[in-house]
Amino acid sequence: MGLESMRNPCAFFLISLICLQALQAEDGLSIYAKQCASCHGDHGQGVADECEDPLQGTRSLESLARYIERRMPEDDPELVIGDDARQVAAYIYEAFYSVDSQSASKPAAEPAFARLTNRQFRESVADLINSFYKQPQMAEGTGLRAKYFESDGMNKKARQGMERVDQKLDFDFGEGAPADGINPEQFSVAWEGSLNAPETGWYEFRMSTPNGARFYLNGDKQNGDSNSRDDSGAKRQTALIDEWVSSGTEVRTSSARIFLLGGRGYPIRLDYFKYKEPRGMVKVEWKPPHSEWELLGVPYLSPADSKRTFVVNTSFPPDDASEGYERGTGISKAWHEATTLAAIEAADEVVSRIGLLTGVKADAPDRVEKLKGFIATFAERAFRRPLDDDARQRYIDHAFAGDVTADQAIKRAVIMILKSPRFLYPELTSEKDDYTIASRLALALWDSIPDEKLRNAAKEGKLRDVAEVRRQTERMAADPRAIAKVEAFFAGWLKLDAEDELQKDPQKFPGFDAAVASDLRRSLQLFVDHVITSETSDYRELIHADYLMLNARLAHYYGVPAPDGDGFHPVKMEAGQRSGILTHPYLLSRLAHEDSTSPIHRGVFLTRNVLGGVLKPPPKAISFEDHPFTPGMSMREKVTEITRSSSCMTCHERINPLGFSLENFDATGRFRTEEDGRPIDQVADFITSSGDTVELKGPEDVANLVLQSPEARMGFIEQLLRYTLKQNPDVYGNRSVDRLEDDFTQSGDNIRKLFMEICAVGALDRIPDLKQAAN
Amino acid sequence: MNITTRRQFLRQLGLSAAALPFLPSLPSLAGTVSESPPQRIIFMFTPNGTIPEDFWPDETGADFKLKRILSPLEPFKNRMITLKGVCNKIGGDGDGHMRGISCLLTADQLLPGNIQGGGNKPAGWAGNISIDQEIKNFLQANAATSTRFGSLELGVAVPNRADPWTREAYAGPNQPLAPISDPYALFDKLYGNQKNLENLGSILDDVRDDLKWISAKVDPKEREMLDQHATFVREMEQDLQRSDTQQLMFPAPVLEQGVVLDNDGIPKISAMQIDLLVNAFANGMARVATLQYTNSVGQARMRWLDINDDHHHLSHEPDNNEEAREKLVKINTWLCQQLSDLARKLDAIPEPGGSGTMLDHTTIVWTNELGKGNSHSLDNLPFVMVGGGLGFKGGQALSFDNVPHNRLWMSVAHAFGHPISTFGRQEFCANGPLSLS
Repeated sequence: MGLESMRNPCAFFLISLICLQALQAEDGLSIYAKQCASCHGDHGQGVADECEDPLQGTRSLESLARYIERRMPEDDPELVIGDDARQVAAYIYEAFYSVDSQSASKPAAEPAFARLTNRQFRESVADLINSFYKQPQMAEGTGLRAKYFESDGMNKKARQGMERVDQKLDFDFGEGAPADGINPEQFSVAWEGSLNAPETGWYEFRMSTPNGARFYLNGDKQNGDSNSRDDSGAKRQTALIDEWVSSGTEVRTSSARIFLLGGRGYPIRLDYFKYKEPRGMVKVEWKPPHSEWELLGVPYLSPADSKRTFVVNTSFPPDDASEGYERGTGISKAWHEATTLAAIEAADEVVSRIGLLTGVKADAPDRVEKLKGFIATFAERAFRRPLDDDARQRYIDHAFAGDVTADQAIKRAVIMILKSPRFLYPELTSEKDDYTIASRLALALWDSIPDEKLRNAAKEGKLRDVAEVRRQTERMAADPRAIAKVEAFFAGWLKLDAEDELQKDPQKFPGFDAAVASDLRRSLQLFVDHVITSETSDYRELIHADYLMLNARLAHYYGVPAPDGDGFHPVKMEAGQRSGILTHPYLLSRLAHEDSTSPIHRGVFLTRNVLGGVLKPPPKAISFEDHPFTPGMSMREKVTEITRSSSCMTCHERINPLGFSLENFDATGRFRTEEDGRPIDQVADFITSSGDTVELKGPEDVANLVLQSPEARMGFIEQLLRYTLKQNPDVYGNRSVDRLEDDFTQSGDNIRKLFMEICAVGALDRIPDLKQAAN
Repeated sequence: MNITTRRQFLRQLGLSAAALPFLPSLPSLAGTVSESPPQRIIFMFTPNGTIPEDFWPDETGADFKLKRILSPLEPFKNRMITLKGVCNKIGGDGDGHMRGISCLLTADQLLPGNIQGGGNKPAGWAGNISIDQEIKNFLQANAATSTRFGSLELGVAVPNRADPWTREAYAGPNQPLAPISDPYALFDKLYGNQKNLENLGSILDDVRDDLKWISAKVDPKEREMLDQHATFVREMEQDLQRSDTQQLMFPAPVLEQGVVLDNDGIPKISAMQIDLLVNAFANGMARVATLQYTNSVGQARMRWLDINDDHHHLSHEPDNNEEAREKLVKINTWLCQQLSDLARKLDAIPEPGGSGTMLDHTTIVWTNELGKGNSHSLDNLPFVMVGGGLGFKGGQALSFDNVPHNRLWMSVAHAFGHPISTFGRQEFCANGPLSLS
């Protein structure tokens, strides 16, 4: 079969299909029974030792027919060709192959019973302990509050000479004073505010100074702390980095690491003094997860106060991600041990801060009763519902029984509560009520436990009112934790969480170093952030934005004028060259080899992640390196040759054109028109799932394809739903994604609204006696 | 150790034969003990100088009487040495208190820095490794003498602040080592999560109970996961029971819970730290330690002795202030009592795999930042050695003629079989180690 028939006019084909449907179905059935069923089963369910996978997929009818024509039956493809192939394809498609036929035949699936995921465990424990602290107000602006003093003696802050907000922690005072009227010989500075951690993971910090400095992060600021005298403001805290004592004129650098949860602000403080040393300087750098060292500065610093957040340090075995999203559907011995150690860690935190958490004085006569009350509240919040008598007896009375000190009782109670199935399995109870809704909302939006407003709404029985659920959802979606969760979804979707370093051949790509790689990741992160937090939160902008977020270093590497000012700014790219995430150089580089592009990686990513397609694993592994290519072949020619066999082409007929259409971007995502002196041929024909052939001439065409493809939109919605709710969409009924898609379209493809809608759908699932909003 | 001495050893420990199964690893642990008995050393630090008249024996030689401050050492009189006439001559930048502690074990000048004390130029950290770390490195370099930690740095009420007034041990120039002043943290360092795990046993019991109770009420699908969960809980309980019987030759000491780590907690903290140190040594975790009471300029208020003034303030009072003097004698006697308690506890344990007691193989060196508080003198530092770890002849009051303390640390190193020709500032090492035998 030649190219001509592959490009059959689609309209004609569909009309004939409808006219002949009854007849074809019957004929299709008998052909299927005769030629196919022995391997695929009577209803396409598969046959052991033959073809075990069920005959289901996302191909269009046209594509399916062509496949049968060329490939089936495997032992003699000539047996089913022409009209027969079309007829059997139509039967298979209608009877069980297509997504519609699958969902029509199935009732809504049961939700998977699950424990908290690792992320949910960490977030829940952090919020559980945090819920007993009074949270400070959010503040506007960026940077840290700084007070500059002239010192009496070595470091006693005597006369304030200047107060301002500093945008980054990088100061070289040289031999002079930081402000007029301050003695350059002896002065001290205190910086205070919050550090906003952009994502969850290990952060490294390093401080350099030839003078004296202490760096504090995530400590407790207590009553009576101030920065008006030497470094007494932090005397009860342990510094993360302590370089208070200088050593001659030498600049000393020391570092420390700390695990932080993304989407939260942490109290930060830097105390510094200079005393008679010739030169004054101090700087603090950091290395966020997946990034390179850089100066600590805006946008991650805020003058706002924040409270210490307890962060579980214990490392957990990874959650099951076999279906593309992390979920808690399995437990293991290692997980049980990790949760145990984490519970002990949390119990130590509570015991060591019991005064701060409860406000109960050590010598209060009714201390034990008050502490019992605290533990009861702690348990209620952890279990996400009021305590029944059984739980009260098990978790509070029992812990305090016998000859134990209050500290021991609290430690014991906290460990028990966090080890309890009531905490670890959020959907444990058979009651589905207001508390269930509150628990689900908190998990969906924050991966955490309900906050006070949500707890109260549940207690007052308001949450069976669908309108109230939407109000809560909207309120919660504005919280930084919700934004952090959506960002974490995109980190997975766009491979921002890849563990291995992004490296390129330094001979071929001079200048592409670790700093560029780290900036690229940040650039994509900031782009996504910029889009989803904007007013319209428009999915289409993600796909076809014509700008990149660039800083000076990236602008230089990608050959465009540097944006004004420090940091990253949107830079409009040459018309037609860039299209949102599709051509973001981070992804283009990730989806490439060290020394050359990889149309296959790019094509697979676009098919699976962006176009909502399903690909089976390759039937055979082929090593690109060992293949004897003719010298001088282009990458496109090599890929074409290596995937030419028909067993490859079942998937590569879709993968390759997508990859080829991005051949104008080299292995670091720079635009190019030549490959080793030969002009790039990036034009390729792509057959859509509806059977249309689309000529792709570059990223703009791919973007249009994505935006016009229902599968792409559905695929996006399904992926976001799975990540958000940790369940498959069919749990919520076979039309749930269609309904979400309608809402999505009506909202102008608003991602945040989609996220909120998904959260509401999850929260309200299988809850009896709901009060529906009047339409 | 053969089986006879092992039984004897256990009898001495007060353990019956019934206790045997709970010490399964004893033979293998004993097997790692080398032929030659171990040598151990503990440097104990106290601040603010002493009251010389109530400290130094009037006599020299073997026939001497202990004055009031040293009276708690009466039981160890024939196993101790007083060393008069040894002086910290190091000099250099930094005030007397800074040099008093930071040059004490390092025997070298402070590096230039930004820390300004009550006089002299500002200074930074010590410029040399401290003698305890020198010996630790020497012992750790040899498989026969190396231990899990090598050395332990313990504190009692050392302020949570790192500067040349609060550090005596240095891993090298510019590398101060922070002592652990929290007995609970030290416990965790020595015994890991063991204590937590012990508590966990009964918690897991309760968790399993609750799992069972809940499991009975849920769907079969959910029950499957909860049952699996219960299996893991049970397995962990079994693991814990096994680990109860693990490796330690001596069970971890039982610490009083809830001791507040503040000034008034000092007597309890001191006792806990001593127990932990003795236990760690007995279990072969280290052979070198520093035990630092407060810091130079230490300001403990020993209210448990009915003294409400702070130690440093009292030490500045002139000689003719009888009341202050009396209080300082009481303070120093109490500190000496801590030394005596440490010696007594070491003496109560038979040397594992050897002869005599642990004190016979351990030397405690009592050091002070100053000779005398109100003069800030670094001469005649009140050095006392107790125990037989270094093989020096006990039961003597020695008197030297104004010798630099560098030479004392050389003696200590040589006694460990580490014949260094200098330690710290070279000009003070002439004439080699002090003769102590």
